Amino acid sequence: MNEIEFTQFSATTVLLLLAAFYGGTYLLTLLIRKEKEDTTGFMVAGHHVGFGMGAASMTATWIWAASFYAAATSGYTYGVSGPIHYGLWGALMILFIYPFGRRFRQLAPNGHTLGELIHARHGTSSQLILAGSNILGSIISLMVNFTAAGALVSVLSPLSFQTGVIVAGVGVLAYTLTSGFRASVFTDFAQLVALMAIAIIIIPAVLFAAGGPEIMVAGLSRMTREQADLFSMDAILNQGAPFFVAVLAYAIGNQTISQRLFAVREDNIKSTFVTATLGYGAIVIGLGMIGLIALSVGIEPINGNLNNLIPQMVSTYLSPVFVALFFILVIGSLSSTADSDLSALSTIMMADVYGKNIARDNPNPTTMLLVGRITMIVATAAGLVFASFSLDILVMLVFVGALWGAIVFPVIVSCYWDRVTNAAFTWSVVVAMALFCIARFELLEMTGITVLIFELLASVGGAVVIGLMAFGFFGRITGLIAGALTLVVMLLFATGFLRDYMVLVASLTAYGASAIVCTLITLFSQERFDFDLIKQRVGNYDDAEPADDSALIPEGAK
Amino acid sequence: MTSTWAYAAYILIWPALTLGVLTVICRAVIRDINKARKAGKDLI
Repeated sequence: MNEIEFTQFSATTVLLLLAAFYGGTYLLTLLIRKEKEDTTGFMVAGHHVGFGMGAASMTATWIWAASFYAAATSGYTYGVSGPIHYGLWGALMILFIYPFGRRFRQLAPNGHTLGELIHARHGTSSQLILAGSNILGSIISLMVNFTAAGALVSVLSPLSFQTGVIVAGVGVLAYTLTSGFRASVFTDFAQLVALMAIAIIIIPAVLFAAGGPEIMVAGLSRMTREQADLFSMDAILNQGAPFFVAVLAYAIGNQTISQRLFAVREDNIKSTFVTATLGYGAIVIGLGMIGLIALSVGIEPINGNLNNLIPQMVSTYLSPVFVALFFILVIGSLSSTADSDLSALSTIMMADVYGKNIARDNPNPTTMLLVGRITMIVATAAGLVFASFSLDILVMLVFVGALWGAIVFPVIVSCYWDRVTNAAFTWSVVVAMALFCIARFELLEMTGITVLIFELLASVGGAVVIGLMAFGFFGRITGLIAGALTLVVMLLFATGFLRDYMVLVASLTAYGASAIVCTLITLFSQERFDFDLIKQRVGNYDDAEPADDSALIPEGAK
Repeated sequence: MTSTWAYAAYILIWPALTLGVLTVICRAVIRDINKARKAGKDLI
């Protein structure tokens, strides 16, 4: 089945496709360009993004180039249930954050970043932990998306990897630089419409060109029993469970999500995030099915690289027109995520770094916008350099993922429990990261009482994940009951078993340790925080007045 | 025959769902454009 390799376009064709995409996107942004941009518009589109634009932007942002490749890889590796175990949990990351997002918005209706809220609640150290993890995450995301552009261009044309990286970087920067987040949201809509339309055409086209459902049923005989099983434990434990653990961490750790929580009209948050959940799940699971089709018809990925599966399937079964559409699909998905990352990074530097820590709540809006635009240029340059060097990002990803896991409990609890202190927040993250490193890199010998302690911490982590999810939708009592039940089940079944999955133990340890430390330190605190202060402390920078320092003292300390 | 239909549905449900979400989003955006035009405000 592998005589056909990738469809090859000429350099001119690919450059024309890229010029049409980035040129068209740039022209679109001219429609919304303002002579004088204000900071709130640049960072959160004035908090007035409607349901349609918001849902489109959330969906387009959350779908990055890796989404298709990883979903198809999951389908090819784990069979029938594989695409679902990739796409479903990614979709739930959007869904599970919205109940907390409504609380964030209620506390800080004029907010731009989650870091601002945490700064108003706790102060600088907690804010910078959150902002730092957001910055790392967005830089990694930028690099991955530029890398994907380079790889696609080099695979489908004689152009070099570096050419693809540079065109994508410059193209995204060009249309985002002037209007910031407003440009990101507006172009996300256009990009998502194209992306969805192409997905709607390509998935059935590949299915029927490959021989239709009959071939798929016949192909079940090629699969292992686990691959043919819709409820495969192999897929659940290796693909689904690690993603499930990451659901809340990715949502809390990503400024691209919280930025949209602060940008969408408050009454539209639920409908926006539910629609984005459905949109993301449908597109990603659908394109993941191409990996399942490849498995069913016996395709072997070119050079053994599973990332080649979708372009290979499209090249093998469809005409060059479809390959060109697929090219636009990938460029659209990676660009929509990259422009969101640029907007996220610029907003963090504008609000969290300049607004809160350099200008001390008395910023100059013109300087602030300049900070945002310079950040975009520097971040694009950094993304291009890192992508060009094809750096190994695995270690960075491991740390960022753990950091996000460690901050989930302190961030969420800080928004509901008035006794949580800055020390509780900061120390819980520090201790959780230290224990995560010990478990992840097995710095201690993982035997006897040591591994048992980590299994206990991981069990608490599992209870925290389930408890917080239940709490978000059903309230405190249900959350506590769900967490307690999960803890009992984990203690009964996971101890002695989890040690065989140390990566999972390490991730859950980050949740569990931060929850324990944060709770213990908080219980010793006598402070009571007045949540109404957050509303006063997080405001609009365009008409900022000199900060009232007395308001920075926690109420319980007065 | 049944499993062929089930398999076809299992794969084709996702583009169908995508079409549904696309329709909902486009209708909402058109509504917002009209509202913004009537109110004399920017869409975004």
